[in-house]
Amino acid sequence: MNPLPLTDADLNAYVDGALAPARAADVEQVLARDAAIATRVADMRQQNSILREALDPWLSDPIPPALLDAARMPRAAVRWRRFAPYFAAAATLLLGVASGWSLRDATLEHGGTPTTFARQAALTHALYAGDVNRPVEIWAAEEKRLVTWLSKRLGFGVHAPDLNGAGFALVGGRLVAGNERPTALFMYENADKQRLSLQVRKQPPGTSDVAFRYAVEDGVGVFYWIDEVCAYALSGQLDRAQMLTIGRAVYAQLAVAETATPK
Amino acid sequence: MPTEPSLPHPELLAAIPRLRRYARVLTGESTRADDLVQETLARAWEKRRLWAAGTDLRAWLFTIMHNVFVNQRALARRDAQNVSLDGDEDGNAAWQIPVRAMQQTRVELMEVLREVGRLPVDQRAVLVLAAVEEMRYEEIAAVLSIPVGTVMSRLSRAREKLRRVAQAAPSEPSTLKIVK
Repeated sequence: MNPLPLTDADLNAYVDGALAPARAADVEQVLARDAAIATRVADMRQQNSILREALDPWLSDPIPPALLDAARMPRAAVRWRRFAPYFAAAATLLLGVASGWSLRDATLEHGGTPTTFARQAALTHALYAGDVNRPVEIWAAEEKRLVTWLSKRLGFGVHAPDLNGAGFALVGGRLVAGNERPTALFMYENADKQRLSLQVRKQPPGTSDVAFRYAVEDGVGVFYWIDEVCAYALSGQLDRAQMLTIGRAVYAQLAVAETATPK
Repeated sequence: MPTEPSLPHPELLAAIPRLRRYARVLTGESTRADDLVQETLARAWEKRRLWAAGTDLRAWLFTIMHNVFVNQRALARRDAQNVSLDGDEDGNAAWQIPVRAMQQTRVELMEVLREVGRLPVDQRAVLVLAAVEEMRYEEIAAVLSIPVGTVMSRLSRAREKLRRVAQAAPSEPSTLKIVK
């Protein structure tokens, strides 16, 4: 059978995995019987791996501070952001409350903090909760290993609260880079595949307690609170009442756990 | 009511290493590359209302970078003192292959990489986006604002050139500067 002719474009697309399966099968037939073409394809593959071998190490170069600054919302935008709350407040009370917090966030950003705890939590939640296949580093099946690892990395004992009562099962967890210190993230999921995450990090000494706060960041609701030891943020795209109920459950469980294990 | 537009900061941070790498491939030099990345991030914030949340932020940033690069190059061309960045001219002093980063310094590998630096920048861009960034052809076409057919022909030409060099690669010592 002679289904071809093969073009250069076909071979390139084959190497890049961009050919339709039927056409890829055609190419494979030719590769099996034409050694010269098979060599060309092998060369192209080798080129790819040579290029990656040489250029991948660039990715781990430290990022210069100027670029870290450039990744932050610029000051002009922050200033604009300050006026947003007033429009929002006029629209709905809930948004008004959230925006009041973004006013506070703006102040913090001016103070040199890259981003607030609540905002960081919401963005981190969005990043990993949106990852269907790999939301966590260690799955709930290895919960003990997960908790031991995170406790070691954070420098204090963390616990994954049991949220089955609220319909959320533990998916697993991971270590994430917080804006100031390493943070543990526990991911939960309910039967409707909605995800919640609880992020915990040690609080820098000298910071004051914050009672339950609620903020909406980029459509993600965040309940957060800070005690004398840790900062906690529960993030999810649930309504405020649901978030509050679950947040209280988490708080209660952690309070028990903290009194049980003195730090 | 829509909330005020913003860009996801963690994703933006996560994209920086890839933006820097691509910028170095384009400009051939790390200081200019970082300037390009900085300009790209500034533009991204300016245009943040144009980013559709939930879509691929990396592809959007690469697109912005491409536009910034093309504009800068047009300005540079107008300025007669500036040398074209296209690799057709001899020299290529600007294209510093990151030899220091290699696990092993193989002659063949250096030859091929040096030849990447000699490719016209348009071919170099497509090659790196396809082979190293592993973007789909459609994504590359969108980033570079060219038809998919052009992506494929540039890619094919770039690879063929590199392949011929690799085949002809003599074992003569490379003139490439090795920075340890």
